[in-house]
Amino acid sequence: MKPTVAFFDFSSCEGCQLQIANLEETVLDVADKVNIVEFREVMKEHAEAYDIAIVEGSICRPMDEERLRKIRKNATILIALGACAHLGSVQRLGNQWTAEENKEEVYGKTIPEVTDDSNPFFEQPRHRSLDEIVPVDLVIPGCPIDRNEFVKVLVALLQGKKPPIPDYPVCVECKKRENVCLFTIGKFCMGPVARAGCNAICPTYGLGCEACRGYVSHPHEKAQTDVLKKYGLSTEEIMNRKTMYTYKYVEKQQEKPREKEVKA
Amino acid sequence: MKVITKKEFHGFIQKLINNSAFNVEGVKAKGEKFVFDTLETADELRLDYDVTILPPKKYFLPQYETLMEFTTSEPFENKRPTQSKKTIIVGVHPYDIIAIQHADAYYLDDEISEEYLQKRKNALILGSDVLTVGEKSFFGAMGTGEVTDGFDLYLTDLGDRVVIDIGTKAGEQLLSHAEHVKEASKKDMQRVQKIRQAAIQGAQRDLKLPPNKWYDLLEKNRESSVWKEESDQCLACGTCTMVCPTCFCYDVRDEVDIDMQHGKRLRTWDGCLLREFTAVGSGEIFREDILDRYRHRYYRKAQYLPNRLGFVACVGCGRCSSQCIPDIADPVKLINMITDASSYEPLETTATPQSLSLHIDDIKQGEALHEPLPATLQEVKKLTEKETYFKIALDNNEPFLFEPGQFVEVSIAGIGEAPISLSSAPNGVSFELVVRKVGDVTSALHRMKAGDKVGIRGPFGNGFDVDAMKGKDLLFIGAGLGIVPLRSLINYVIDPRHRKDYGKVTILYGCKEPCEMLFGDEVAEWDRRDDIDHMRTVDTCPEGVCWEGDIGLITALIPKATVDPSNTIAVLVGPPIVYKFCNDILLKLGIAEEDIIVSLERRMKCGVGKCGHCQINGKYVCKDGPVFRYADVKDLPEAFT
Repeated sequence: MKPTVAFFDFSSCEGCQLQIANLEETVLDVADKVNIVEFREVMKEHAEAYDIAIVEGSICRPMDEERLRKIRKNATILIALGACAHLGSVQRLGNQWTAEENKEEVYGKTIPEVTDDSNPFFEQPRHRSLDEIVPVDLVIPGCPIDRNEFVKVLVALLQGKKPPIPDYPVCVECKKRENVCLFTIGKFCMGPVARAGCNAICPTYGLGCEACRGYVSHPHEKAQTDVLKKYGLSTEEIMNRKTMYTYKYVEKQQEKPREKEVKA
Repeated sequence: MKVITKKEFHGFIQKLINNSAFNVEGVKAKGEKFVFDTLETADELRLDYDVTILPPKKYFLPQYETLMEFTTSEPFENKRPTQSKKTIIVGVHPYDIIAIQHADAYYLDDEISEEYLQKRKNALILGSDVLTVGEKSFFGAMGTGEVTDGFDLYLTDLGDRVVIDIGTKAGEQLLSHAEHVKEASKKDMQRVQKIRQAAIQGAQRDLKLPPNKWYDLLEKNRESSVWKEESDQCLACGTCTMVCPTCFCYDVRDEVDIDMQHGKRLRTWDGCLLREFTAVGSGEIFREDILDRYRHRYYRKAQYLPNRLGFVACVGCGRCSSQCIPDIADPVKLINMITDASSYEPLETTATPQSLSLHIDDIKQGEALHEPLPATLQEVKKLTEKETYFKIALDNNEPFLFEPGQFVEVSIAGIGEAPISLSSAPNGVSFELVVRKVGDVTSALHRMKAGDKVGIRGPFGNGFDVDAMKGKDLLFIGAGLGIVPLRSLINYVIDPRHRKDYGKVTILYGCKEPCEMLFGDEVAEWDRRDDIDHMRTVDTCPEGVCWEGDIGLITALIPKATVDPSNTIAVLVGPPIVYKFCNDILLKLGIAEEDIIVSLERRMKCGVGKCGHCQINGKYVCKDGPVFRYADVKDLPEAFT
């Protein structure tokens, strides 16, 4: 029997699901191998049980947490789709300020009866990745995801094989494409610590990598910071590079010393 | 030596481009840098380039290469893609010509790679003198600034005309496409020499120690603090290995289309600076520290490959030096730093031109090194929760000969390939494997049943020397899964046909828990037979489980064996941790280093000493091992870490 697949989204642009909807003729092959029971981008049906839940978006409010927990319970395999689900993505930058500060920044003036925590839509918005709420079986990283990689992951799942998500830096793929290293022409790049699999698409078109796929499992972060400094970035600029998609790591590092303090 | 005008030279190249029998690749600008790429017009050719981002290695060992295509229903009716057009590579600098000769020596040594040979024979190399020396190039100091062979034609651009040296018959034939080719004048030749010598002089940098002294320098300075200082800045991004013309390591993986039918086995560049390079199926990583990976690259260039091929595997192109962002991959800088830090006395020697004698035309036929033979699972038996037994025979009905201790590569089309120890004594027909479910291939194997098809390559490696063991007492120590390869030797020795050739046989077997014990029937037979001493132990025994044997680590069992150390060969097989402790215990028993035999595990991807993953320092576990004498590996820093 074909496995059933359901797509869900939280705080995101839904661009990753759009990538899948845009698979063109391959989408028919995908539909031939799995039974899609919920996919808001292309159909209106809903489902309560599925083998594979593919979830896009970051988790923001308590009501989102609750919904994600329910999805997790209904699914055998839960896949985090894209940078928002994987890392919290750019919206996570908002975690640098309090919920109140953010509301004020966005809406100018806040109206307590509308925007305070009593309204579930405005309750404590803190962006987190899926794995901070529920166990995640696998991640398809990227902003947006690479649709061919999505297909490869799906094939691997159907084969019972470990999904082919690389754990080496973007530099590897960038060199194989014989790109001019951006550092040598006065630009900056997170490629040396960022997870490959995108075929170095941004550096290929002259744009520095922003690590939308997160870091490799063991990045040499200190060496990367040193390099950015050496090539002329200020501490603040380095921080900007490190927080664009990957503020999650910064937050985690900030938590660590705090944990130590608590223990002490 | 010939000469033609620049205009005629352009006409010549254009003619080649227009000829549908050729695929003409040459040096082109890419931004401010240069690359080898397909020439659309002769005007694109830039013989004034300094150095290309990637070396021409990519034509013989492409970044991504389909080794074979298959359908999952007919898995090993695979077909290999072939090339029809001749590839002409224009503008190859002498250091890159020498690097290609290094690749020849590497890919065409004991095991001749047909995959490589085909592409190599299919190419014509048009060399070129260096007109602009790269800022970081040091080929002058490496003796790689001039070549006498390794090219079909060799070009020196004099500005208004091009001097052409003919290297081969094929080159001469190619030149017949050019018009108005004249004999070069004495003056032309002098200009060529001047250009060549200027390049060599310009590419010296300040290298303090000639390459023939690197081996010795590194030999004496493995623990130098320089390694740590430099590797602390290393991003482990892999760039230095990707851009290197003498880095040949690769990975192999399978890809299947969404139709779940069609797939291919893909080869792609890998690099020893990357963390997963040494990762085995069970997840163990043998070069975890960046320091070790960083150091490995230099030792491979200056010691390991020189040991194997006879020359320093660096040609001074300066690609790593110029493309490493933290600037720690530069061999000149590193060699100088270590020379200074160690107050090593550089002797008065200069670089001698490198010359390699391998001639590609002399090699007629290689072997498709990655092509498995179809085989059938004859018997499948679950042994424990994690281990399953397989009896396999090749479909070609040819005898399958191997030595105890060797291994095979087992292929499942679409999933991949994994090295698995042979577990049976050779019987000439079939063979047995016992496989623990740890990775993709082993998990897929566990889902298969008798009658299913797999692919087999091998047998590979250096097995146990059963002849050298004759007349000796044998002490077998199997820990955990170590019993699996050891069983091939035990069953050979205790076979009534061979038993008389050997002295006392003692078998020690340890595993974590009783439920993990393999080959229960055979273990019982060891107990029964009075020509075998046998003891077994488990680390722990859960309450209520029946266990006839010791409880404790295997290390506690060894001293209980009664051995005559002067006439005993100890064969020890187990996970890495076991070697750390057991070797010492055996030595304390008085067994000589030469008489302790071990079988080591590493990531053996290709099985034929090419892919580079299984190296323990300079040893290739897949070829030199997996069976080693302790005496031969004890001094290798990476052997028992």
